[in-house]
Amino acid sequence: MPASSADAPAQVDARFSAAPLEDPGARLRRTARRVVSRLLGALLVLWGAATAAFLAQAVLPGDRATIIFNIRAGQPIERTPEELAAINAQYGFQDPVLTQYLHHLSGLVRGDLGESYQQFRPVTDVIGEQLAPTLVLTLTAIALAWAGMVVWVVLTAGRGRRTAGLGAAVDTATAGLPHYWLGIVLLLVFALQLRWFPVISGNSPAGLLLPALTLAVPLAGFMGQATRTEFERALQQPFVLSARTRGAGDLAIRLRHVLRHAALPAVTLSGWALGATISGAVVVETVYTRAGIGRVLVTAVNNQDLPIVTGVVLLVAALYVVANLLVDLVHGLVDPRTAKGGRPS
Amino acid sequence: MTTLLLEPAPEARAVRTRRPRPWGVWLAGLAALGFGVAAAAPGLLDTTDPLALHLDRALQAPGPGHWFGTDEAGRDLFSRVVHGARPSLAIGVGASLVSLSLAVVLGTLAALGGRVVAPVVDRVVEVLFSFPSLLLALLLVALLGPSAATAAVAVGVGTAPGYARMVRAQVLSARGSAYVEAAVALGHSPGRILRRHVLPNALRPLVAVMALSIGQSIVWASSLSFLGLGVAPPSSEWGALLEAGRPYVAHAWWLTVVPGLVVVVLALATTTLGKHLQAVLERSAS
Amino acid sequence: MPARPRRTLLAAAAALALAGCAGTSAAEQPPPGAGPVTGGTIVYGHQQEPACVFGGWIEQAYLSTQVLDALTSLDEDGRVVPWLARSWEQSPDGLSWTFHLREGVRFTDGTALTAAVVAHNIEHWVEGGNSTAKVWLDGYYDSATAVDDLTLRIHLGKPYPRLAENLAQGYSGIQSQQALQTRTAEENCEAPIGSGAFVVDHWDRGEEIVLRRNEDYTSPPANARHTGPAYVERIRWRFVPDGTTRVASLRAGETDAIYDVPAVDYADLGRDGYTELKHVTAGRPQQLSFNTQRGPFTDERVRKAFAAGLDRRALVETIGRGVIPYEGNGAVSRSTPGYSREAAEAHSFDLDTANRLLDEAGWTGRDEDGTRTRGGERLSVLLPYNSGTIINADGASILQGVQQQAKATGFDVRLVPVPPSGFFAGEYSRPDERDIAVGYWTSVTAGILWVNWRPGTEDWPNGNNAAFYDDPALGELIDRANQTADPAAQEALYRQAQELIADRALSIGLFDRLSTLAVSPSLQGVWQENAQGGPVFYDARFVR
Repeated sequence: MPASSADAPAQVDARFSAAPLEDPGARLRRTARRVVSRLLGALLVLWGAATAAFLAQAVLPGDRATIIFNIRAGQPIERTPEELAAINAQYGFQDPVLTQYLHHLSGLVRGDLGESYQQFRPVTDVIGEQLAPTLVLTLTAIALAWAGMVVWVVLTAGRGRRTAGLGAAVDTATAGLPHYWLGIVLLLVFALQLRWFPVISGNSPAGLLLPALTLAVPLAGFMGQATRTEFERALQQPFVLSARTRGAGDLAIRLRHVLRHAALPAVTLSGWALGATISGAVVVETVYTRAGIGRVLVTAVNNQDLPIVTGVVLLVAALYVVANLLVDLVHGLVDPRTAKGGRPS
Repeated sequence: MTTLLLEPAPEARAVRTRRPRPWGVWLAGLAALGFGVAAAAPGLLDTTDPLALHLDRALQAPGPGHWFGTDEAGRDLFSRVVHGARPSLAIGVGASLVSLSLAVVLGTLAALGGRVVAPVVDRVVEVLFSFPSLLLALLLVALLGPSAATAAVAVGVGTAPGYARMVRAQVLSARGSAYVEAAVALGHSPGRILRRHVLPNALRPLVAVMALSIGQSIVWASSLSFLGLGVAPPSSEWGALLEAGRPYVAHAWWLTVVPGLVVVVLALATTTLGKHLQAVLERSAS
Repeated sequence: MPARPRRTLLAAAAALALAGCAGTSAAEQPPPGAGPVTGGTIVYGHQQEPACVFGGWIEQAYLSTQVLDALTSLDEDGRVVPWLARSWEQSPDGLSWTFHLREGVRFTDGTALTAAVVAHNIEHWVEGGNSTAKVWLDGYYDSATAVDDLTLRIHLGKPYPRLAENLAQGYSGIQSQQALQTRTAEENCEAPIGSGAFVVDHWDRGEEIVLRRNEDYTSPPANARHTGPAYVERIRWRFVPDGTTRVASLRAGETDAIYDVPAVDYADLGRDGYTELKHVTAGRPQQLSFNTQRGPFTDERVRKAFAAGLDRRALVETIGRGVIPYEGNGAVSRSTPGYSREAAEAHSFDLDTANRLLDEAGWTGRDEDGTRTRGGERLSVLLPYNSGTIINADGASILQGVQQQAKATGFDVRLVPVPPSGFFAGEYSRPDERDIAVGYWTSVTAGILWVNWRPGTEDWPNGNNAAFYDDPALGELIDRANQTADPAAQEALYRQAQELIADRALSIGLFDRLSTLAVSPSLQGVWQENAQGGPVFYDARFVR
């Protein structure tokens, strides 16, 4: 049991969701303090992430001007200082590292993420146009995962040794599927062979299902593992018995009462999945030929396009912060302890 | 097992799941033994050279002589899969060690670091958490070049923050436990209490987590290979094998399906064993 | 637990059963009585996405050609024909070229094509606007001036008789001067303004570039098959990096044409009724250059032993499935004017010769791995390569084959896949960092030899000289060839240079670089431009 509070959102939740009974003024002050400390924490995370991205790029091998020049030329060779002078001057690569860092930070504070070295475009544009497909993919995947998980767990949990065993086994098996492999197999079977789905997913709605499933299946298995335990525990609770005696049907009890108790770990996981969007998406984008942040990031690191890399890092950090907030919010709504003000047990 | 790819997983969620039935554990043990043998002494399972070219036997389907078929240069896939066990497992174990060591240090500091150190460590862990681990891997590869060691470090550092949180919680709960209070009451020194009571109790569950994490790390590392960031060819590391077979997926399915299945089976075996171990530990603890 | 392996096995079995009947159905033919129609949108599946439309990389040249017209074009026999320039002549001393431009050509921003605009473009390339266009002019170009509105003069420091051919490459597309001077770098990157058959409508990064027909197009090259605007209205130039996906998309009708057909699919697609186009790009083929300044390959015998120890033809023909042509010549490919067959055949597979040469060179010992040693030093050589952009999947397989074959004669070849960031940072670009370099460089003439073999000097280093072979005599020979006006005499000199490179085993060929296209039967009239094999959709139309 102690380990259940190990991952971030749950732990944050433990700090913020318990609302003791106080007079309204005190509660308001408390809330305000909480919001301020929350914002400060978020800013710290963003600053840390931006700094980490800058440092990482600063220690990368190779002269940045050379890279920019070579990629523009398509030839990987040593360049002369004369060739590089213009680029160095334009981006200030010859300045001391501290100057570059301060310049970098001051840009961020002004909301100016800079301009891509290779695309000559503002980073906000580059990221902005790729954000939507990635978010759509992730949110669809999370929704699919929830649907699959809820149906499977409600149908199989606590229904005798065999059924429950099968249910748990499927959870484990699906949670163990690597994305890249699942993606390739789904593509091979449903797009290449059966032709049920487009081969190039692009951003069409029809092309969304297979990529989303690829992300959803392991996530569903993973959430299922966590939910099932809680679910079976909740089934043993007195309130289930009392609901039964009041004449509620089995399915209704499972959906209305038990699931609510069991869903918290899955909520936490969903928030985490939202934060993990970028890394998970890159494989799926590669396999299914989708545009998205993942591919942008890989290309940007390969080109050492620092402004884009930093932009993506900030975006991910922001997503992480937002996901944490959302999880807290949902916890407050769903958790019977915080919602009803009492602990069942 | 988590496969939410390339992000540290809240592994602890798996901790409370049911104990698998014994014969499932036997099967998993058998599979693990097979992988162990392949890694330690591949010659026992296969005597051919995994890199030998047979240009006259390119892209042959599985069958007698080539149980898993051959690749585009006529290399035997069974032989490559067997010889790929060592680099694959080495990365998995290496990454788990890196990850858990880092997690123990960060987690303990975060729990016991006091007013100054703990919040700082907390923030560091949070930044690590919010930093895309794919980017971490990309940067490490750019810095150190693609190799097994790079993959192990990338995966290890990437998964560490999740475990660090877990260690922190364990340490906090151990510190608050009755036996620690008793030790404090007896006047034992803080160092001794940490060494003798808090850490052993807090870290015991990590044994099982280690088993879970090995499988997870292998999936993770093979994903890096899949993206071309893993072990350099012609290594037979499974993710690299799978990636090398991808151009032929419509013509020679075995080149992608077989290495992928091997990774899945290994992941299931280590998950099953890990959970079993956890259940055993929980029982012995209560 | 028992359900887990069983379940996955079932899934796999389903996949296998389906894969057995791999999607190889015949292409859908146009209905009987169908004829060519005007209009429609071509969906074209391309492999790599560049950062900009115009630039110094082949992927950019392919796109530039759709949007920008060049001064000249090449016909199927590699002869230079008029495009924006309707004629040209050289002065008797070869030091000045006069280009007479076509009248009445307008850029899509409404400005007119004049000699001054072209001169501005050339200055723009040389000042960094296009480093590849620049590298061709380097050492020869002096200045460009407008004699009158439609007469351009290019002054050279040394004669360069193949200038007109080189200006046919996609790097030399002519842009509107007004656009270059008044628009932002971003605008000129994404949608350069030319006078071409298509204009960039918009670019969905990571997905596709949409090109729109230039309704007022008047300036097709002399080797085009019609005049006036293009037949089709739009081209959706989609980026589909994965070869299997490209082929499947063509078969599923999601694309009308695809680039870079994987070798393993080539025969099937042809059999199933898809039109296939194959262009062996001229210039340097995929080849191995040996480091002649440091390490074991400074000894010519070791270079020759390495070459003789490889059965390159068998390797390439197996992995290339008979589609990718083996190329023995390390200097230029078979489609390059002045190609030397003798140079291509210089180093045949002969293990005895390889072993004898290595023994003679003193590499007589063997360690426990079978690697040769000399005085305690192992015969270990470093071969870095960039995976993904320069070396594709087939290429990586072939390099692994080279590694394995070289093992037989006692070489320990260390393959290092270099991530693009390090690669473009110039890692492994210095003599103390590598023993073998691999790569190609497309061109239209054997003048590529000058780019690759010009001896580097203190004030004019040559980073493109991958063998680090700074031989003034070879440089002088190539330079003399470059300046020779008579084609036969010029080709003889180029051949001499190739044979010298082969004789000394400075570089050995692996395979020719191909530009391949597969086109649906319902789309006709697609051809490949003859400079680099890029697709030309100007004459293409649907049959319905």
